[in-house]
Amino acid sequence: MPDCSENYEKEISDGKNARNIKCKYCNSVILTPSTAAFTSFEFQLPLIRQSKINEQNPETENVSLFWAVTDMFTFQNVGFSNTVGNNKYLTCADCEAGPIGYHDLSNKMSYVALSRVIHS
Amino acid sequence: MAKKTYDLLFKLLLIGDSGVGKTCILFRFSDDAFTTTFISTIGIDFKIKTVELRGKKIKLQIWDTAGQERFHTITTSYYRGAMGIMLVYDITNEKSFENIVKWLRNIDEHANEDVEKMILGNKCDMTDKRTVSKERGETIAREHSIRFMETSAKANINIERAFSELAEAILIKTAGKEPGDPVDRVTVDRRPTNTSKSCCN
Repeated sequence: MPDCSENYEKEISDGKNARNIKCKYCNSVILTPSTAAFTSFEFQLPLIRQSKINEQNPETENVSLFWAVTDMFTFQNVGFSNTVGNNKYLTCADCEAGPIGYHDLSNKMSYVALSRVIHS
Repeated sequence: MAKKTYDLLFKLLLIGDSGVGKTCILFRFSDDAFTTTFISTIGIDFKIKTVELRGKKIKLQIWDTAGQERFHTITTSYYRGAMGIMLVYDITNEKSFENIVKWLRNIDEHANEDVEKMILGNKCDMTDKRTVSKERGETIAREHSIRFMETSAKANINIERAFSELAEAILIKTAGKEPGDPVDRVTVDRRPTNTSKSCCN
């Protein structure tokens, strides 16, 4: 995976998102400026599209740059999937594109992958 | 701790027969012959949407029946804490309209008695396939003293307005209560549900 962290530098202001975070596909506003904290760790996030042969074993990619949200009601618009393991996956509330990130049920934190959304 | 970014939180439910378009959306990732979308396979549990009314930022937590209605298993636990219910039928499906009365009875039996209700006749963009007239929708709503609107999730007609009106009705109802009352939060890990897959058809 190419390292695109540099492209995101201007998106971070005081450790938070400088601009609106929106859906890549339908422009629905997911988070308003300065409501999520930038964080970095490794996570295997399932791909949006999956081969039908693979339904039991979804294909994932390694994602490492996230916007962290402590209270789920901070989100402007978002969808939560049914529970898988210890997580719920996050989607666009309008077009249901996703996963754009995940919600960890054990610590109630939500993480939005920078690479799965747009900033504008 | 971050400051609260909203004033009020309302829990809303979408109820109605299968296939009436409760979870229908403007644009969605669709499956094709060889691929499926990860989300459509696991299903959506609830959504959070934000509206602004009378200078207040209101968070709507919207749950839909996730296929339970097929088995008529919607009972008290589903209705718990609900402040508003959208009762949806399909204007091209007579049966779904007739069942509105059944759903109203179900709500009376299981939901909080002061829950705010609204009837939506969905798919109003499909004029050539319409079998339920707008007048019939208005009549049944009037008989039960419930708000009514025709909507099209597909053409984005009245959807935002319907949610705003329902939220406003709840706002008026709760206005007498103390500001800053603890809001009834719902735990997210409440139930393992079957895969939901509802669409516009």
